[in-house]
Amino acid sequence: MRPSNNQTPAARYGMSIDVDRCNGCGSCMVACAVENNVPPAAAGATDRTGLTWIRVFRIDNGAEGADRRSAFVPVLCQHCGKDAPCVSVCPQQAVDVDPATGIVGQMPERCLGCRYCMAACPYHARYFNWWDPAWPAGMEKTLNPDVAPRMRGVVEKCNFCHGRWHAAKAKAVANGKAEIDPADYIPACVEACPNGAIQFGNLNDAATATAQSAHQPGSFRMLESLGTDPKIYYHSKKNWVHEISKAPRPGTAKETSRG
Amino acid sequence: MRNSRRDIFKFAGGAVAGALFTPAPWRLITDTALWSENWPGIPRPARGEIRAKFTNCALCPAGCAVRARCVGEQPVSLAGVGGGLCPFGLTAHHLPYHPARLRQGPIGEATAAVGKHGKEAIAVLDLNPGRTVSWTYRRAMASVKGLYLAPESQPVAYDLPAAKTVLSIGAALLDGWGTPANVSAARRNFRLIQAEPTESRTAMLADEWIPIAPGGESAFAQSVPGLAFAKDLSVVIGDAPEIPEINRRIGAFGKTVFARPEAPVPDSWKGAAAVTALDDVPDHSIGVLLIDESSAVSYIPWHRIQRKLVRENPLVVTFAATRGGYARYAQYALPTAVYPEVSGDVAPAVDCVHPAFRISVPLVAPVVTGVANPADFVAALAGLPATDSLRERADAIHKTGKGVVVTYADGKETPVKDLAADAFWKSLNAGAAWTWADAAPRPPAAGRSTVHPAEALESAADLPLVAIGGPQTPGLVSPLMTKLYQESNLRLAPNRVALHPDDARAAKLANGAHATLQTLTGKCAVEVTIDPAVPPGAVQVGSSPGIQDVCGPAARAKVVRA
Repeated sequence: MRPSNNQTPAARYGMSIDVDRCNGCGSCMVACAVENNVPPAAAGATDRTGLTWIRVFRIDNGAEGADRRSAFVPVLCQHCGKDAPCVSVCPQQAVDVDPATGIVGQMPERCLGCRYCMAACPYHARYFNWWDPAWPAGMEKTLNPDVAPRMRGVVEKCNFCHGRWHAAKAKAVANGKAEIDPADYIPACVEACPNGAIQFGNLNDAATATAQSAHQPGSFRMLESLGTDPKIYYHSKKNWVHEISKAPRPGTAKETSRG
Repeated sequence: MRNSRRDIFKFAGGAVAGALFTPAPWRLITDTALWSENWPGIPRPARGEIRAKFTNCALCPAGCAVRARCVGEQPVSLAGVGGGLCPFGLTAHHLPYHPARLRQGPIGEATAAVGKHGKEAIAVLDLNPGRTVSWTYRRAMASVKGLYLAPESQPVAYDLPAAKTVLSIGAALLDGWGTPANVSAARRNFRLIQAEPTESRTAMLADEWIPIAPGGESAFAQSVPGLAFAKDLSVVIGDAPEIPEINRRIGAFGKTVFARPEAPVPDSWKGAAAVTALDDVPDHSIGVLLIDESSAVSYIPWHRIQRKLVRENPLVVTFAATRGGYARYAQYALPTAVYPEVSGDVAPAVDCVHPAFRISVPLVAPVVTGVANPADFVAALAGLPATDSLRERADAIHKTGKGVVVTYADGKETPVKDLAADAFWKSLNAGAAWTWADAAPRPPAAGRSTVHPAEALESAADLPLVAIGGPQTPGLVSPLMTKLYQESNLRLAPNRVALHPDDARAAKLANGAHATLQTLTGKCAVEVTIDPAVPPGAVQVGSSPGIQDVCGPAARAKVVRA
């Protein structure tokens, strides 16, 4: 019997991303790839067929010339809290919501590669492995031992660096604690950001900076009207940036989009 | 009852049809997926004891503190200590395995060729000056009466925490200009005005962006004293040749602009050759040129170097990690070790006004055997021992008894006077930084700017575009940077140029098209990105050596289909 998709998890991990502090350097994208053993782009990979569990999009206010203003928006799996569309469509039960953390997980060893989840995801935050994972000779020595590389033909996505959660949990258990120390569980993209634009924490704990910044004025979530309760909050003082909350993918409503 | 052949077929058919309604075939599909997960083509990460090592990133003078997560002796990820890292630094542990690395070179032949040419008119061009190895080059050149060349002879440092209003004319202040963590921390306290033609990463996060005409940096710099906000400026940052004079006039010298400090050196090194800017060398005067581009932080177009070489039979030897730079022109290209497989110190950072000394501790053993050590090669010309120069310098710093050592593993600050020389050396090699924050910074020398001016906007009717440069990137980057260059177009790849859609349409170029970039200096093969953020009439160029050889900032250019 499949567990309910709507259970309230004990913890509710999420992020708060300050768009006004992101300079689009891409550190989060490569840190994610290093941590999760995502291979370099295959020769034929494009922005549509590449593997980027977190991708930074450049958006603009639609004006031309000197009035044009841009911003960078990192987009990753939004870890829907309610009725995650990818969970219900998977015929293989390869997607689930961890009741302990609220993290939407992907089990590539169960995945058939049918890509129903990709079609269902309103955020386009899932990626299909079109090629066998390949690293230049010798570079496979640098792979993270906590994460298994995935094969061609399966879907991948952000799992909030679940390997790090396991390591933090193991450390807590070794220390005789029931709860993990928040300092021990920080996803790679959060750790890598030179501008401190991404905060991560338990949204159920009102004392965390993440929970507080998620509810400050100027915060919003993407496609909130769908009722999927995404756990990635964005923040910007610029009103035009809030327009991305209405588009399935930042910039897709305009011809000028890139990425 | 007797079963007929028909019954057997019916039973078999019914069994097959019925099986479809059981979990068996679906289970088989799952199991197939499970089996294929582990087929031999999938690499298996090595397992072992997890340890942390600390070092300083040597990819640029920012020299960020790095914590390496290692499996046994092998680094598997890098992270910043007390702040994030840029994408190049985060993936630097891949560099030793880069397929484009130079793996062998005729070291013996090059040595013989230099010996045959003699030491007359010899020079070393150092593209990452300010390191201990730079002092080795200077000592060697003093000994053989050669020249030590660097892109700039009098580099300056900027005190951003002391600034209230910063005007940046085209500098990538928030995109790799200084130490990311320091700039990010200082950013909260100053107002940033960014003047440049495109809305760059820095312009995007600036308090005010002033769009200027492509190639108009110098003209804008000249107009700064008359601007309304000029009286509020603490410092002006950028490459325009007028900027040092503006900083002097607004009183930034000695307040926010200082001579770039260097850590103390042994007394015996002080007779080293002076730093000479390449532009100050007479044309056609260098017979033997040794170029250290192994950890280059800047690139000088080849035609500016070539002009300095004698006309008859010059000899150029370059120490490089790849064949993409000056190796294309040199008679001998000798492979070198790369960060993080080589020990060396990091040059002073542009945003640090106090002396500092940071050693980039090797994280892996050299992957390529038979590499050349540029310091040993150059020192051997003068008969100098170069092997212990790092230790000699550390001892000279220790002898001053000044400053503190910050160890990254525990974040502890220890005054140097409380440490024995061996303990000081040991801590530097375990991942630490020596800083001397009490040292009074020196105002910069009042010499002229050695920044090479932008190319003049010559009238060239058939070259309708004006080039806009971008931030310099390291010569060797991880294959994972394809996430940013290819799979997302987040950064302009080094071999690409970006055009406004109208200009691309006029040139009949599509996104991703192969094209030729033409300037008055030459031409270069490029790929095209169409980007509405690029102003019409401009071409934003990548930072590959091939492009920089033909296209400097503000150069007139055109892009045509290949």
